[in-house]
Amino acid sequence: MIDFSRVQKELQDCEKDKDASGIRVSPKSDNLTRLTGTIPGPIGTPYEGGTFQIDITIPEGYPFEPPKMQFSTKVWHPNISSQSGAICLDVLKDQWSPALTLKTALVSIQALLSTPEPKDPQDAVVAEQYIKNYQVFVSTARYWTETFAKNSSLEEKVKRLVEMGFGDAQVRSAIESSGGDENLALEKLCSG
Amino acid sequence: MDDDYLSFEEEEEEEEDNYEDYYNDDHAHEEVSSKKSTSQIITKESLVLAQKEVLARVMELLSVKENQARTLLIHYQWNVNKLIGVYGDRGKDSLFKSAGLTVFDPSLISSRKRKTMSCDICIEDDIPSSAMTRMECGHCFCNDCWKEHFTVNINEGKSKRITCMAHKCNAICDEDVVRKLVSPELAEKFDRFLVESYVEDNKMVKWCPSTPHCGNAIRKAEEDEEVEVECSCGLQFCFSCLSESHSPCSCLMWKLWRKKCEDESETVNWITVHTRVCPKCNKPVHRSDGCNLMTCICGQHFCWLCGGATGRDHTWTSISGHSCGRYKEDKVRQMERAKRDLNRYTHYYYHFKAHTDSSKLEDKRRKSILEKAEFISEKNDQLVFKDLTWLTDGVDLLFRSRRILSYSYPFAFYMFGEELFKDEMSDLDREMKKNLFEDQQQQLEGNVERLSKILEEPFDEYSEDDIKMMKNQLKFLCPVIDNLCKEMYKCIENDLLGPTQAGINHSIAPYRSKGIEKAIEFCADIC
Repeated sequence: MIDFSRVQKELQDCEKDKDASGIRVSPKSDNLTRLTGTIPGPIGTPYEGGTFQIDITIPEGYPFEPPKMQFSTKVWHPNISSQSGAICLDVLKDQWSPALTLKTALVSIQALLSTPEPKDPQDAVVAEQYIKNYQVFVSTARYWTETFAKNSSLEEKVKRLVEMGFGDAQVRSAIESSGGDENLALEKLCSG
Repeated sequence: MDDDYLSFEEEEEEEEDNYEDYYNDDHAHEEVSSKKSTSQIITKESLVLAQKEVLARVMELLSVKENQARTLLIHYQWNVNKLIGVYGDRGKDSLFKSAGLTVFDPSLISSRKRKTMSCDICIEDDIPSSAMTRMECGHCFCNDCWKEHFTVNINEGKSKRITCMAHKCNAICDEDVVRKLVSPELAEKFDRFLVESYVEDNKMVKWCPSTPHCGNAIRKAEEDEEVEVECSCGLQFCFSCLSESHSPCSCLMWKLWRKKCEDESETVNWITVHTRVCPKCNKPVHRSDGCNLMTCICGQHFCWLCGGATGRDHTWTSISGHSCGRYKEDKVRQMERAKRDLNRYTHYYYHFKAHTDSSKLEDKRRKSILEKAEFISEKNDQLVFKDLTWLTDGVDLLFRSRRILSYSYPFAFYMFGEELFKDEMSDLDREMKKNLFEDQQQQLEGNVERLSKILEEPFDEYSEDDIKMMKNQLKFLCPVIDNLCKEMYKCIENDLLGPTQAGINHSIAPYRSKGIEKAIEFCADIC
């Protein structure tokens, strides 16, 4: 029932300009119903530098029904559940059109990272923080990006700083307060 | 008891007046209702016609095709006046755009005609142009993809608004194309949805709530009117909330009342007031009489006042090794409140139930009364036996007034209770209004019982003089009852609901001397 030839063509299409767009889609299983999408965090946002993975499930009626997508990388964002990774995005629901593709949907998700809609939240806690305390939101989102969406994990950073001679607890709190930025944490540790 | 209603002798003159009023009123009413259109019954068969009538009007007014007229009407929920208003205010283009209609301009694409084309949905190239369809919005995809798109939408119940497949294109697909491309069974389903939209999206039309469903829909005559109607299947219902007709109760009151009666909340209340839970086995224990030391059947002793476990030794005033202290007071107050609420509810429920039951009994007796009437009119030659409309009118009035009486109890329960109108009246004000209303209620009650009694008599054995006497009694009584009903509605409107803020949430279907409006068969007049 699923139009695999179209999915196949979409994958080829994505492959062609993956370097320019940074967006990749690769099959998880042989039958093309489960895929993994990858998007880079948009520049100039707390997600910059992170690489985010998205689980894609192709439904029976695709492309006449929207694909199911959810983040498998943890993200701190008002429209993405910090628990499950569920995404609140119109094109994945009632605004889906058969003329859209996996790639355009991923582009829309990438755009959602740049322009959160705190008034239509998926995660109420994040949305409240976004509205009431934007600075804290930015540093939390950055910390989550550093921790979950970068190859260099938190533990590696801690290890490096501890090796410089700082205490473990001190290092962890410095990294957290500087939003996961290793260099900023080092500055803080040095200044006192 | 005679004080409650007017007695014959004293009011000889007024009798005539009332009588005249009642009948004059009737004629006046008939004239009004013939001018004003009445509610109409739309059967399964006339549904298509009723829809066609509106479609034809729009097609002629705007000179559009049927499918376009339908799309516009679905968007404007079949409200022709609103549609025409928008057309007048903002023009055709704006009207079309808001409803998702586009006017096709073939000149835009004629130059691009090719033998084969590609479809952006299935991403296939080299599709012969004959296997492609271009919608009025200009977007062109292959028939296989269109078909799949329509199928998914129809099966999801979105027949009324199938939009174009292109992203962000809100154009509604041409219904003829949909019918042509999908399977015949699905086309039928699609058509059914379109036809039923006339009822489902239309504020003026509602399905008759009868079960099993009689298949009819009712179209009401006036837009902002609170009405109760009778369908040809015999069901009388409230057009607003679709439950049984319940005037003078408002829809909200009726909903709350029904829920209250169905709920076990009153049983729970009784248990709170009259029992304590045993601290050991957790069974509710009822105290028939005696002191505050309770002994459960499981053997546990406990204090009736606070429900706590106690020892065995006690006196009439205290129980050894146990003191309830201040806590008792709150508990007692809470119990008293629950007890008062329960008594109040029981009072109103009892009267409501009594009248509803009477109404059911009288409904059964109705047939036998009418049979008796037929019998005496055949048996006797005198003029007085021939025209018995006074008798059938009396029977009809009995049912009407009986219903009003029974629904006036839940009305009073909420009107003078704390749930809905707590801060709307001072206690004094409430007491006064309550007395006023109850006086009217009792007058009506007395007269309705009297009417019921007269109709219950074995009048088929009456002599000519007896019948004449009965006729006179009815001729006097009916206008009195009719008038009392009117007065009660007037009081509700002017003195009770009218002055309150919350009254705005309680519109009530008006009283009609002729009874609940019988909807008439729809007949199309496509001119």
